[in-house]
Amino acid sequence: MATTNRPLAPHIQIYRPQLTSVLSFSHRVTGIALSAGSVLLVIWLITAAAGEQAFYPLQSFLGSWAGLALLFIWTYSLFYHLCNGIRHLLWDSVIGLELASVYLSGWIVVFASAILTAGAWIAASLMAP
Amino acid sequence: MIIRSSKQQPKNTLLKRFPVSHNFGVAPASRTEPGKSWPAPASATCIKAIKVYRYDPDSGGNPRLDTFHVDLDRCGPMLLDALIKIKNEVDSTLTFRRSCREGVCGSCAMNIDGTNWLACTRPLDETADPVTVYPLNNMPVIKDLVPDQTHVFAQYHSVKPWIQTKEPAPPDRERLQSPEEREALNGYYECILCFCCTSGCPSHWWNGERFLGPAALLQAYRWLADSRDEATEERLDALQDPFKLYRCHTILNCTRTCPKGLQPGKAIAEIKRMIVAREH
Repeated sequence: MATTNRPLAPHIQIYRPQLTSVLSFSHRVTGIALSAGSVLLVIWLITAAAGEQAFYPLQSFLGSWAGLALLFIWTYSLFYHLCNGIRHLLWDSVIGLELASVYLSGWIVVFASAILTAGAWIAASLMAP
Repeated sequence: MIIRSSKQQPKNTLLKRFPVSHNFGVAPASRTEPGKSWPAPASATCIKAIKVYRYDPDSGGNPRLDTFHVDLDRCGPMLLDALIKIKNEVDSTLTFRRSCREGVCGSCAMNIDGTNWLACTRPLDETADPVTVYPLNNMPVIKDLVPDQTHVFAQYHSVKPWIQTKEPAPPDRERLQSPEEREALNGYYECILCFCCTSGCPSHWWNGERFLGPAALLQAYRWLADSRDEATEERLDALQDPFKLYRCHTILNCTRTCPKGLQPGKAIAEIKRMIVAREH
């Protein structure tokens, strides 16, 4: 029987997004965002060391709405990746792999990362001069 | 919302599918085209639309999505009943696997409303209208809802799912287990090899050639957990591989979709722990 010309049944194109897969994809995406964010952090430090002429343009960009939005995404990525990373550590110890626990810890991660992000920004704005 | 059992359907879904194009990464010959619509008989009053993936290897065309309209007043309660009714009364070329019609053989596994389940244990009134039926994901399609499972069965075979012993069996009796040792197999021996989990695993979509997938790994753990098996070290040696085992990223679509309510994700975590434990 010829097997070469058979079509492949669709997968990502039709599979229903669920908390399980959505949180896993988000873990990957926030990990990539964190890598990009740490490059930004290094550039920010280098410009700070290089002097006012290099530092000022980047600093003013980060203070603009677009810059603040980027930083907000970065902080959310940090807290999401942190919370979901703890979930992965528990799973690696074979804890919480029953379906109800998977969903409970999933929603805890979603809400905890949102609360931590909001808390960090509120604390930052209170401490700002 | 908290899902407590894999048979529980979500009450409401934000997205029915991921925000990617229908042909995202799909080879031209695998693209699905609109198909025929088959009307219900004129006398029908309670009608349900069923969209079914069709592929006919003999006509040479692309797969298409046909819509059947079934008279629910003259149809059994399950999705499989509707498919059999279509085959008997509307289009005899509709092709699908089925056998036991009670969820123990695993033949009628298919993608129903975007998740994998057995057609015989999914009531029609728990499906969307229209309900969409695809073959198991990421498998070559032989015809309509019949996927070619050669590869996943070869992967199952590769974990040597049979007892391996070094000591000869006692001459006067079977190899016995205590009730506790037997209990260690609960949740693992019940697998019916429908491959709902493997075909619903994103990691298996991307690395299916080398990643064994949840069904084969659950079976691998079933033999690792068996007190009578004496090849634990050899089994772990064979599994300790960046692709065979460690492409599992604990997505847990497997546990979410298992029609038998098993936990392949937990079995894989147990294997990973056994490998860590023997190194220390």
